Amino acid sequence: MTDLRAPQPASPETDAASAFGEDETGEARTGTGAASPGDDPRSPRPGEPAPPDPPSGWLRWGWRQLTSMRTALVLLFLLALGSVPGSVLPQEGSDPGAVQQYFASHPALAPWLNHLGLFNVFAAPWFAAVYLLLFTSLVGCVVPRTFRLAGSARTPPPRAPRHLRRLPHSASYPSRLTPDTAVEAAAGVLGGHRFRLRRPDSADSGSWVSAEKGYLREAGNLLFHLALLGVLVSIALGGLFGYKADKLLVAGQGFADTTAALDEFHPGRLVSGSDLAPFSVNLNSFSASYLASGQPAAFHAYITYTASPGSPARPYDLQVNHPLDVDSAKVYLIGHGYAPVFRVTTAQGQVVYDQATPFIPANTGTLLSEGAVKVPAAAPSQLGFVGVFVPTAVLAGGTLESAYPAPDNPAVSLIGYSCSLCMDSGVPQSVYQLDTTGMRQLTAAPHLLSPGQSWTLPGGNGTITFVGYKQWVSLAITYDPGQVPALVCGILALAGLLLSFLVRRRRLFVRAAPAAGGGSVVTVGGLARTDASGGFEDEFAGLSAELAAADAAYTPATPAGIAPGASPGEERAPSNQSETGA
Amino acid sequence: MFRAKRRTVVSVAAVAVALLIGALVVTLTQGSGQADVGYVLFPAGQRPAVHEFTATSLTGTPVRFASYRGKVVVVNFWGSWCDPCRREAPTLAVLSEQYRSRGVSFLGIDVGDTPANALAFTRGVGITYPSVNDASYTVTQDFSQAVPISSTPTTLVVDRTGHVAGYIFGPVTYSGLSTLIKDAVTG
Repeated sequence: MTDLRAPQPASPETDAASAFGEDETGEARTGTGAASPGDDPRSPRPGEPAPPDPPSGWLRWGWRQLTSMRTALVLLFLLALGSVPGSVLPQEGSDPGAVQQYFASHPALAPWLNHLGLFNVFAAPWFAAVYLLLFTSLVGCVVPRTFRLAGSARTPPPRAPRHLRRLPHSASYPSRLTPDTAVEAAAGVLGGHRFRLRRPDSADSGSWVSAEKGYLREAGNLLFHLALLGVLVSIALGGLFGYKADKLLVAGQGFADTTAALDEFHPGRLVSGSDLAPFSVNLNSFSASYLASGQPAAFHAYITYTASPGSPARPYDLQVNHPLDVDSAKVYLIGHGYAPVFRVTTAQGQVVYDQATPFIPANTGTLLSEGAVKVPAAAPSQLGFVGVFVPTAVLAGGTLESAYPAPDNPAVSLIGYSCSLCMDSGVPQSVYQLDTTGMRQLTAAPHLLSPGQSWTLPGGNGTITFVGYKQWVSLAITYDPGQVPALVCGILALAGLLLSFLVRRRRLFVRAAPAAGGGSVVTVGGLARTDASGGFEDEFAGLSAELAAADAAYTPATPAGIAPGASPGEERAPSNQSETGA
Repeated sequence: MFRAKRRTVVSVAAVAVALLIGALVVTLTQGSGQADVGYVLFPAGQRPAVHEFTATSLTGTPVRFASYRGKVVVVNFWGSWCDPCRREAPTLAVLSEQYRSRGVSFLGIDVGDTPANALAFTRGVGITYPSVNDASYTVTQDFSQAVPISSTPTTLVVDRTGHVAGYIFGPVTYSGLSTLIKDAVTG
């Protein structure tokens, strides 16, 4: 994306073309990729010697390759290509269960995909490499362009071309004044219209004034580029210092925001566990209402939270898309489900399990949910249960189904397993699934229980009671310090883009030459950018009429309210001495 | 034509090389992440202080951490739902008996759990020292100000002045925890 443009010396023969030739900001041109920056002989960069000395030359060449438009496009394409497996294949971050299933069903292919990081694409080193390079490429492109735009916004208008009649818009009127005075009169009018003016300096001859308007276009362009950099920095900020976490919370329970309490924790690169916002949340109750069709109508999670240990507890009604804002972190309600409460007692009456056990919805429409109950403390054997919870139980052809997501007729169906010491391996397992290898099924058929009912297990294994149910919510906790800056920068970028599209840069040149019979002939030429959407013609006609009128009414005593001649800094403007001849 | 083709090949190769270098850098920097099991020892003078807290034990009696001042305390974060905790529990039971006569106390912090399940767990593995019921992780949050408790099991050894002498993340081993306790008792 290195800029290809070079200041072109204005030729007297191509006045019209060169009148804008040296200040094109060239949004369109930079993107063509028709010529690579390295082979552009007109490149303005100082470090452009033909055979560069090896080490620094290669570095410069590499940097130019990296920041070229072509490379950025290739990287963007790679980024898009890399995201494809992220949406086609199951991902560790979002659905580790599906990844395990994929391993089971594709035993030969899955390990290879895993080696390539395709099950965790967005954390894979090659993916990170692509976006880091894209980031570098963008920064390397935008920063130099920003400086160039800043320069362009300060550039004074060019000298008036010699043949104003060749410009797209031109007019002329006779004047009774001398050429210098006529130009003086015109400059006064243009200055009053807030044009930026340029007068001949000592090296120039002739009577002319150049005027230019619409510098806001460059300001808009500059704003767009600066805001784009701001967006990149904001994204980096979020990636480095932000974090995302998930927590499943059963009604009546609470948690403090500490890594041990979180089910999933995805910290940014510079986040450690002690950086978490020290809030805590208690879920008092959860209510869901549904339409007759079973579609959810509203979810309310009534919570109390404390912003930090020791501060007062505050109630909050957490809803979908109505997150809790606490200590600059945000807590979103992202899911809900049922947690049947089970109590397991041994044959001797000792309680070995009493807990609301979260079940995971297998059918999000009817909230038929599946889960596991693990009772390693049971005696004489360790016990495990695989269960299905249905909020509104109906028996359809002998199988248990759920007719409605609200808990109108809750029931659980359990399959019991027993084993001795099979749960003491110490290998962490999902709490939602039971690995039944090495376990003995207690009964052939599943056992159906309504709230309050108990099942006396065979073989002296005690009793399991379906006490009732609670509801759980899953919460997403996010902290993204880059979010607000990214939004602000995004809006600024849009504003800058609009400004640079809507504002036209336009120029007006006035030249006066002595007329044969005294007085002078004044020629006015006008030029707007080629992509101007019209309207300049009317403006030009209005302005030239005004100039003629002012000229006719001019009295030499009137002080000219215009800016003085060109400052020394403007002398670097493209010059071709032959154009200054009158 | 030939030059243009060669330039394309060279720039594609350059992108590929840059990608490889980037991937290598990222892989190397990612490798420095925390391992699953390990321990940290703090030299005397740099030991982080533990916040005082009051909580309720699994059996309902109040526990004041300040009352342990003057003793070396082994603080174990666990849950009955946590499989590695079940594996390390017999080691903790044995060590708590062995070090009782030397003035070393053991205290469990039972997180995200119900008292019924937790008591069934301690009965089953033969742990006799008390545990604090920390279903909502508030005690864990207090401790996290001193050392990061990222998951269960995590075991802290707190010296006589209430400062963390060292901690183990992941299941304890007999020799590993013994070393930490001896260090805290002598130092």
